[in-house]
Amino acid sequence: MAALGAWRLLRPGRRWFSEMVPGAPLPPDSPLYPPVVASITAKSRAAKSRRLQRFNQRVHAAATVEEKLRLYGKLQRPKYTVYPQTFALNADRWYRSFTRTVLVPGMPPRAAAARPPVAAAGATPEAGRAPKPGAEAPAAAEAPAAVGAPAAAEALGAAKTPEPAVGEAPYVNIGELRSLVCDALLQESFYQNKKRPFLYRDQDHTPGPFLTQLVSTLAASLSGRNPLLAASSLDLNPEVNYYWHHGEEVVVHGHRKGRVDPVRFQIDDNPHLQIRVPKQLPEVVPLESDLGDVPVINHKPSKLPLFKKQYENKVFIGSKVADPCCYGHTQFHLLPDKLKRERFIRERLEDQIEVVYRSNGIASLFAWTAAQAMYQGFWSEADVTRPFVSQAVVTDGKYFAFFCYQLNTLALTAQTIKNNPRKNICWGTDSKPLYDVVEDGNVKGFNDEVLLQLVRFLLNRPKEL
Amino acid sequence: VFPGVRQAQWLTKTKLVEGLPPAVQGIMDNPALGLPELEERAKHVVSHARLWDTAEVAPRREKYCPVLFENLIHICRLMSGKYPSLSKRMLARNFRIAATWERESILLQVRGLSGILMNSVTPIPPVASKEEILATKEHVLETFYPIAPTIDLQEVNVYKELNDTGQRFRDGYPYSHPHTLFFLESANVRTDRFRPEQLRAKMLMFAFGNALAKAKALHGNDPKVLEQPVVVQSIGTDGQLFQFMVFQLNTTDLVSNDGIKNLVWIDSDQNLYERAQCVPEVKKRVVTKPAGISGFQPDTFKKFLALYLHGTV
Repeated sequence: MAALGAWRLLRPGRRWFSEMVPGAPLPPDSPLYPPVVASITAKSRAAKSRRLQRFNQRVHAAATVEEKLRLYGKLQRPKYTVYPQTFALNADRWYRSFTRTVLVPGMPPRAAAARPPVAAAGATPEAGRAPKPGAEAPAAAEAPAAVGAPAAAEALGAAKTPEPAVGEAPYVNIGELRSLVCDALLQESFYQNKKRPFLYRDQDHTPGPFLTQLVSTLAASLSGRNPLLAASSLDLNPEVNYYWHHGEEVVVHGHRKGRVDPVRFQIDDNPHLQIRVPKQLPEVVPLESDLGDVPVINHKPSKLPLFKKQYENKVFIGSKVADPCCYGHTQFHLLPDKLKRERFIRERLEDQIEVVYRSNGIASLFAWTAAQAMYQGFWSEADVTRPFVSQAVVTDGKYFAFFCYQLNTLALTAQTIKNNPRKNICWGTDSKPLYDVVEDGNVKGFNDEVLLQLVRFLLNRPKEL
Repeated sequence: VFPGVRQAQWLTKTKLVEGLPPAVQGIMDNPALGLPELEERAKHVVSHARLWDTAEVAPRREKYCPVLFENLIHICRLMSGKYPSLSKRMLARNFRIAATWERESILLQVRGLSGILMNSVTPIPPVASKEEILATKEHVLETFYPIAPTIDLQEVNVYKELNDTGQRFRDGYPYSHPHTLFFLESANVRTDRFRPEQLRAKMLMFAFGNALAKAKALHGNDPKVLEQPVVVQSIGTDGQLFQFMVFQLNTTDLVSNDGIKNLVWIDSDQNLYERAQCVPEVKKRVVTKPAGISGFQPDTFKKFLALYLHGTV
C-alpha cells in the first residue's frame, strides 16, 4: 500500500492528504492481497465446496465430543430410516452396500484371544489356546457323560462333567452353565404361571424374559473369569442411534430441486439387552485387511423399500458421552413376532429367514460401533485410527445367530470414499437352535455348541486382562 | 388416617423393631466384601441411571427408577464371581401373590401384583433368636379402639380362598424359597406414587403374604407356632429413598391376639443420594449447583448389598 501511495504523490494534479514518507521501509513480503477464494453465499459449485470446507473446519475445531456431535447432526433434511429388523427381501445385501461391509460366514479365528479351556477328557496342552473353534466343540461334546436330554436341575448334579480341572488353568464348567440355562428356560416357560400372552406379543411373554435371565445369570457367573465383565454395565432395552451420509443423489422435487445432495441414513435401534465395557475389545484382523467384496447396488435405496423422513439426527450408544463404559461388548436382539420363522415358511420364503438375522446383525452392529467411534471423536472426515470391535447375538428365543463386527472406516461420504481402500467386516453364523422342545419340566435336545459360542462371546476381552 | 405400618402390624400380628437385624449388620461390616471399590461402582451406576441413560436431557422417573434397580442388582449379581452359591437365585418379574388368613374372626386376604420377587434354592436362616421370639409373647399389639382395624380395607365377597404362591410356581420348582421382594414406585406423577409410610405398609403386607403362603406350603394349613420361622426380606424405593425390611414369620396362629408374635425389622427412609443435577444450575452467571450426583450415601448401598447377600454369606 505504501508504494501505491507514493506513486500517487508523484502524479500531477492530484491532492493527497495523508503524509507518506517516501523511502519508508516497505513491510516484509507478506501477501499484498488476502487470498482469492470462492464466495461463501453464491450459488456455485466453488461456493458450495467452500461452505463444506468451512463446516468441516468447524467440526474439526470443536472443543468437546458433545459439541462435535451437535454440529455433525445440526442440519436436518429428509433421510432414509434404516430398520435393522426388517421383512424386506435380501435386505442384508442392501445394508452391506450402505455401510460398506464385507460379510464373512463363520466366526473369526481366534488364535490368541481368551478361550475357555473346557474340561476335556484328554487335557489340552496349554490353557485352552486351541486354534480353531471346531476343535473344541467335539471335545466338549464328548466330555459330558453322553447326555441326550439333560433333565431339570435336580438330576443335573449327576450329569455334570466329572473330569478334574486341567492343572492350574481355570476351566469352564459347562455342566453348571447348562443347568443355569435350563433353569432360566424352565422358569420362564414352565414353572412360572403366567397369563396367556397378549395377541401378537408372544415374544414378550416367554423368550424376552428368558433372554434377560439367561444373559444376566451367565454374565454374573462368568464375571469371575472375565474381569472386563466385572466392570461392565448392563442395559435393558437401550436405544442406539447413528446418522451418516453415503453416496449422492439429485433432489427430485421441492424448492431445492436439481441440487446434488448426499444420501442420508439414520438407524434407530432398540436391542433387547446390551453390555457396555470401559475397555475396547481387541481387533480381529488388521485395519487395512481386505476379506471380500462389498455388493454394489445400482438402484435408489427407496427401492428396498426404504422411506424418507426428517427428524432429529441422533448419535447415541446407549448412554451419554460422560459414561466411562463407552465401548461396546455384546448386544442381544430379540426378533419380533412379525418376523418369526413360521411366517416365512408359510409364504415360501425359507431363504429369507437367514437374511433377517444377517440384516439385523449388520445394521445394529454398524450403528453401535460407528456411534462408539464418534464418541471417541472420529467422524467421516477424521477416520478411525484403530478398529472398533463389537459382538451381537440375534435370536427369536430358540434359534441363535452370532455376529462379530469390526469397524475399519467411517468415511462413507461421496468425497471421502473415493480414496478409501478400507472396508468394514462382519463375521456371522447361521441360526442354530439352542434346544428342541421343553416338555414336562425337561429340556430336550440341548445344543452345547450354541452355549459354548455364547460363553466364548461373553469371555471375550482385551489381551492385557 | 394414621400411619399405615401400625395398622399393618395389627393385621399381621407383628412386633416392630427399628433398624436392621444384627445378622445383616454383620454382613455389612465384613471387610472381605471389598466394599470401597463397590462404592465407586455404585456411584457410577447412580450417575448412569439418573444422568446418562437417555438421549434427552434428563430421564423421567418411569425410566430411571427401574434402570437404577437393574444396575444395583447387576452389581450385586456380579458378586457371584466371589461367592458361587449366589448364582442359585432367580428373579421373577410381574409376580402375583395371594394369601388368606383370619384375624380375630375377620377374614383377610391380600392379593395383587407385587412387583419383582427374588427366589433362592435355600431359605434364609431365622434372624431372631429363640429368646427374642418367646419375648414377643409379652408384647401387646397396639389397638386402635374405637377405630376398627380394618378401616380403609376393601370388603369383598371372597368365593375362593386362594392360598398359595405355589399357584405362581408349579411343583418341583427348584428355587422355591422367596428371598426378597422389590417394590419400585416409578410413577411420574407424585400422587400416583405411594408415600413412604404407605409403601412400608404395603411391603409388610406382601412380605407377610409370601411368608404365610410358604409356611402353609411347608407345614400345612393348621394354625400353629412354627419350629423353623420363615424369613422374607423386602426392599422398596422410588429411585432415591430406600426402605429396607426383614420379616420373620414365627406363627401362623393369627386368630387370637396373644401368644407368640411375628417380628419385623424396618430401616426406613434411607437416601441413596441427595440430588442428581442433570444441567448445572446457574444464577446470575454463577454456577450454584454443579452437574452430577451430590450427597452420595454409601451406607444405603451397603445395606442393599447386605440384604442381597443375606442367607448365602
